[in-house]
Amino acid sequence: MSGRRIVITSGKGGVGKTTTTANLGATLAKRGHRVILIDADIGLRNLDLVLGLEKRIVFDVVEVAEGRCQLRQALIKDKRFGENLSILPAAQTRDKDAITEEQFATIVQQAAEIADYVLIDCPAGIEAGFRNAVAGAGEAIVVTTPEVSAIRDADRVIGKVAEKRLPVRLIVNRLRPEMVRTGDMLSVDDVCEILSAELVGVVPDDEEIIDTTNKGEPVTLSEASKLRGVYDKIARRLEGELVPFTNFDSQGFFGRLFGALKAG
Amino acid sequence: MHDLQPEPAAVPAKRGRAIVVTSGKGGVGKTTTTANLGHALAARGATVALVDADVGLRNLDIVLGLESRVKHHVLDVLEELVDLDDALVRDKNNENLVLLAAAQTREKDEVDTEKMKALIERLREKFDYVLIDCPAGIEMGFKNAVAGADEAIVVCTPEVSAVRDVDRVVGLLGNKFRPQLIVNRLRPALVKKGKMLSVEDVNAILRLPLLGVIADEPEIIVTTNRGEPIALRRDGATASAYHAIAAKVAGEDVAAPTVEVKDETFFSKLGAFFGGSK
Repeated sequence: MSGRRIVITSGKGGVGKTTTTANLGATLAKRGHRVILIDADIGLRNLDLVLGLEKRIVFDVVEVAEGRCQLRQALIKDKRFGENLSILPAAQTRDKDAITEEQFATIVQQAAEIADYVLIDCPAGIEAGFRNAVAGAGEAIVVTTPEVSAIRDADRVIGKVAEKRLPVRLIVNRLRPEMVRTGDMLSVDDVCEILSAELVGVVPDDEEIIDTTNKGEPVTLSEASKLRGVYDKIARRLEGELVPFTNFDSQGFFGRLFGALKAG
Repeated sequence: MHDLQPEPAAVPAKRGRAIVVTSGKGGVGKTTTTANLGHALAARGATVALVDADVGLRNLDIVLGLESRVKHHVLDVLEELVDLDDALVRDKNNENLVLLAAAQTREKDEVDTEKMKALIERLREKFDYVLIDCPAGIEMGFKNAVAGADEAIVVCTPEVSAVRDVDRVVGLLGNKFRPQLIVNRLRPALVKKGKMLSVEDVNAILRLPLLGVIADEPEIIVTTNRGEPIALRRDGATASAYHAIAAKVAGEDVAAPTVEVKDETFFSKLGAFFGGSK
């Protein structure tokens, strides 16, 4: 049996693709799945940093593609998750055209043979790096923030992903409920209405994420984390469970639809 | 048809400055910086052209509130389908400022680097400043955005990943540029708690001339969503910070964020910076 291959993408940079990949991956691993995270941002890798694994890199995805090493040799195990979580780092000193779409797809397929979930951290933009990251995926999660520019880019990317006939799910990241309430930020409903994709998670903007990201510590490892439950819900929805959404913006139709629930 | 070569030398041509705004990492504020710096320079009386180099994922038009007025884009000009003058969108708030929008439904590798260079050269003959809003990443879009510029402003947020990406971009820019740094989205309260890198931390790694520091304020999101860059305002800490950066870019001796003073807290330094901007 082959695992699920999910590309995490957005179009716009800096909306939280890498943070989402790391935290969702860690949460799935914590829930008992075998997870492999692939950093597709060749030349500007960061997934290793976000998980605090940067000092342990020996081989990278380009070296696997070139046959210089086996996939298993290049995988870095995150020991905090036992055998469940490993990453395949991007090459830092190469260009994105150092690897072809076919090579990338082959690596993703190989990873899916030994994992339940393969999450591919896509680079910003819609150039060669994006095409590589999407090449081997079977489904897509589009991350967006509630900003006009991010939504426009997400819309463009959803179009590109749909051309590939991949099912698309949406994570609205960095929501500031108080700004939605004052009418200074788009609500989750607004975003969903524009993008018309299946919502799989809403992550509030919390200072905690800056600190944990800098420290290389996924939120699922912290008992005190406010966001831990949020990622847990996203993981459960991915697994197929029907988990109700939090009413982050009281005016929204989601609020009316689901009633005011507490967290996640 | 249009001649992409510079005018004959007989007319003493103006040659404005071409500055690329770049970062490597996305979402650190390149477009917001381009829009606000453009407005701040235009408010000083300079003529400014803003070029959106993010073909396929353009956003500068939205941030400037000009999205409904865009008729033509960079590729139309490069392919000589329209005159350059017809493709420039004049800003609704400041007539010194124009936008050259990116194509939204095209790909970055459709842009010819040499033609892009020639285009920037033509803009330099008409404007005091040409600011080029670079796309995220280091692929073709980056190469095209950088091609016509000879100065660079790098935007970095106080995050390890952003610092790493900026460091890489500074390396890729090479020796032709002397990149200057804007530290964006600083949260002084978090720095104080030791939960965010300080400006000193960022620049201990990057070692670049510091052009300015912009604090993370919700009003940036609001003004960006509304298409009314905050630099349109004359007062307020964030607007003042952009005006101070513009003054510095223009060569004025601005009281810089005095990050090297050790016995001050970051808060007071930031205060001094904002206060000393006029």
